[in-house]
Amino acid sequence: MGGAVERLTSLVDSPQRFAIPYAEIRQAQIEAMNERFQERKERIRLLAHRAKEAGILEIRSREEMVPLLFPHTAYKSYPESCLTDKKWDRLSKWLGTVSSHPIPAIETSDIEDIDQWISRLEAKEHYISCSSGTTGKSAMLIASSADMRWSRVDTVGVFSWGSGVLPARDRRMFGVAPIAHVPKNTNIAEAQAAAFGDPRFERFRLPVPPITVGQLTKMVVLRKAIADGTARPGDIADFEATSKARQQALDDAMSVAADALIAARADKLYVSGLWNALYQAAKLVRERGYSAKDFHPDNCIYVGGGLKRALLPPDYQQFVHETFNIPPNRNFQNYSMQELNSGMPRCRKGGRYHVPPWMIPFLLDKEGNTLLPHVEGEIEGRAAFFDLALDGRWNGVITGDKISLDFDPCACGAKSPSIRDNILRYADLEGDDKIGCAGTVDAYVRGLS
Amino acid sequence: MTVIDEQAISREAKPQTIRVNHFIRGKLVTGDAVRHTSRDLGIDFTTPAIDLDALIASRAEMPPLFDVKLPEIVDFLVEVGQRLDPDHNPYLQESLEFVAATNPLPRRIIENLFRRARHFLHRDVLMASLNANFHDLRYFDEWVERTDARGQSGAIRAFPPRMIHMLAGNSPAGCISSIAQGAMLKAINVFKMPSSDPFSCVAVLRTMADIDPEHPVVKSMSAVYWRGGDERIERTIYRPQYFSRIVAWGGGSAIDNVIRHLSPGLQLVSFDPKTSISMIGPEAFRSDEAIAQVAEAAAEDVSTFNQEACLASRFLFVEGERAGIEKFCAKLQERLGVDRSMASAIALLPPAELREEVEMLRVMDDEAKVWGRFDGRGMVILTDEPVGFHPSGKTANVVHVKALEDAIRHVNVATQTVGIYPEETKVKLRDRLANAGAQRVVRLGSASKHVGGAPHDAMFPLQRLVHWISQENA
Repeated sequence: MGGAVERLTSLVDSPQRFAIPYAEIRQAQIEAMNERFQERKERIRLLAHRAKEAGILEIRSREEMVPLLFPHTAYKSYPESCLTDKKWDRLSKWLGTVSSHPIPAIETSDIEDIDQWISRLEAKEHYISCSSGTTGKSAMLIASSADMRWSRVDTVGVFSWGSGVLPARDRRMFGVAPIAHVPKNTNIAEAQAAAFGDPRFERFRLPVPPITVGQLTKMVVLRKAIADGTARPGDIADFEATSKARQQALDDAMSVAADALIAARADKLYVSGLWNALYQAAKLVRERGYSAKDFHPDNCIYVGGGLKRALLPPDYQQFVHETFNIPPNRNFQNYSMQELNSGMPRCRKGGRYHVPPWMIPFLLDKEGNTLLPHVEGEIEGRAAFFDLALDGRWNGVITGDKISLDFDPCACGAKSPSIRDNILRYADLEGDDKIGCAGTVDAYVRGLS
Repeated sequence: MTVIDEQAISREAKPQTIRVNHFIRGKLVTGDAVRHTSRDLGIDFTTPAIDLDALIASRAEMPPLFDVKLPEIVDFLVEVGQRLDPDHNPYLQESLEFVAATNPLPRRIIENLFRRARHFLHRDVLMASLNANFHDLRYFDEWVERTDARGQSGAIRAFPPRMIHMLAGNSPAGCISSIAQGAMLKAINVFKMPSSDPFSCVAVLRTMADIDPEHPVVKSMSAVYWRGGDERIERTIYRPQYFSRIVAWGGGSAIDNVIRHLSPGLQLVSFDPKTSISMIGPEAFRSDEAIAQVAEAAAEDVSTFNQEACLASRFLFVEGERAGIEKFCAKLQERLGVDRSMASAIALLPPAELREEVEMLRVMDDEAKVWGRFDGRGMVILTDEPVGFHPSGKTANVVHVKALEDAIRHVNVATQTVGIYPEETKVKLRDRLANAGAQRVVRLGSASKHVGGAPHDAMFPLQRLVHWISQENA
């Protein structure tokens, strides 16, 4: 690791990490990006290809990095037939083109499903997480042991800074979301529990079987079979029955969670989940006649992910906070994504997401091709980030998000760049006015979600 | 000059906001009460507010065309066709400039489409369509008497439907055949224009009104724009009391909205979103002459409408010697990069996801071979299995199969046109292709040519739109 990368990433433990003005680290960030580029340009094949196409040998400015940022869709670029036809060697080969470290040979002849492929790679310290694309392909993101170690430290710092909760191991931990069982999520949950959880209590987890990557991709595989016309009615009926049983198990588990929360109401709680699950749990707690007045006054909440297109009433956040008696100064939110390894916590005074020194933000045009001129003030565009902390894959990624970024100090006093709390996904802005005669068989596959 | 340049220039020449006019039951309506942004290119335009009471014809009145004889309607349409000459028609000239600003197709192709549009109003084209759809045209002009096997008598009439036509966004001037259909069916018509061309339909209707503003065909026509999914309008007017048919020329999110409003008495006749393919036998790869000829024909089918249309080929299944096939791929890529009447040498770039996947195939460089770059001139990807993404922006996936029969398993319910070489193979494969879902089997290179009166999307559209009424004396 080079000097600038080391300088910036070592700030992870510093209480001053969000106090550094952008102007002071701008040059160091460019140097650090170049260090990462030099170290990885021969190791990550897709990066080597892009650098060659763009004729880039060295990073001397932010502009020069733009053609080398990977669109988030690059992690979905594996041939779909790898999953549908169980071509595990080919999937490993694909993974090798985006990984910083060589993918070791693994035995694949007896692999039945993707979960097995993932666990064999995990045994060799390659950790694969998956985003949950609802209809299309999932992104597959590889991480290293170093990434896992970083994430454990970062997630605790992010939550502590954003919520004001100290890692004093004095809280009863409640996880109420059905979270995908991927290394990144498991790692974060364990780190949070170790830092904030009272060791006298067992961490509450929803009593449902883990959601694995294999389950997430089963739907993709079945959709493909339906599109091809090869799926039999029995296959579809089985899938629907499994989904229904899973939903029933989830509903039952939410009841168990609500009862457990009520039973633990006198203790100081740390409640975590996705908004949809938190809202369902809060609703059940209210239906059983309990609300803020019954809960501990210093509870805290960790919310991961966005709404994921769940339809909730407009006051869902307030409803959840008021149910579990979360004080206003404990209103934690974090901006991050599977594609990054570090978080950006929201400050409690200014309500903005703060970008740490090792995370280099870029604002691009809508298409993600050009860096927008940004001298001062807040401007809006497509977000891209270069997370210097990433080790297992390339650091630069162009997101699907539309954000407003400001390099100037925030009203909360922190001097780091910050992002307004109005993040949208470009995919949701498309509107629904499209009509055309050309299209794919996807339109002919009904249901399955 | 590139497509992007052409469009940038035509956009710069425009005032900031373009005004879209409406046409309501024979009258031009102007105004700029509502501001919109076009879906594809983000161009701002304004429209008048829509007076829904004026737009919806009352059932208390007979349809304006009810008592007009079909031959008279055809005569009128033919006369309209004669006036749709872009060199002399000011409405078309003006709308051509505006469409060039809002539509992803290059201006030159849009102009070619406008020039070709008159063809849809030739007498023989109109009559071919009517005669293919109906065994007897008297149904339109009178109650046709009939007697059943038991001697009971009755009469049948093709009664004018009330229709909403949802015009497709990817085919400017496509409105002309819809207007002709609506007129020949004597329907009461509302054309819902797409944001990529909210102009040409009104231009054609104004041309009609100049011939005779009181003509019943003119009085049967309205063309408006609202943003697809606008609940205030769609919830209000998508009702069987107001309309009996919604005709949708394509798929997409706009159709998903329509489906929510269907109810007994309000039927959707949709021409579904489609993908087209080619199949090429080993004869094509045996000599340089054959390769050149077949590559040109394939390029014609792949690049039509810059591959924005349903009938543009995307997957080309080939059987034959590898060396000849690779030569074919190189030649095809070269031929994708030329200007054609319905394609431009440099098209808009394919979407970023496609770029990622092709780039990855290049980096993995074992099972795929790629010709061309992301420069709009077209790309050819040779694989042994179809790629998992949807080729667009003049991208051809050539799939090397052992035998063309093996490609039939890749034909599905979304397959529209199959272009085949050589000719004999067409007859050999057509039954099995149809069984798998394909709807149209053509000669390679002829995907965008049509035999008059042929069915579309596996149906005779006019027949599906008529409101058949029975008078019975049993």
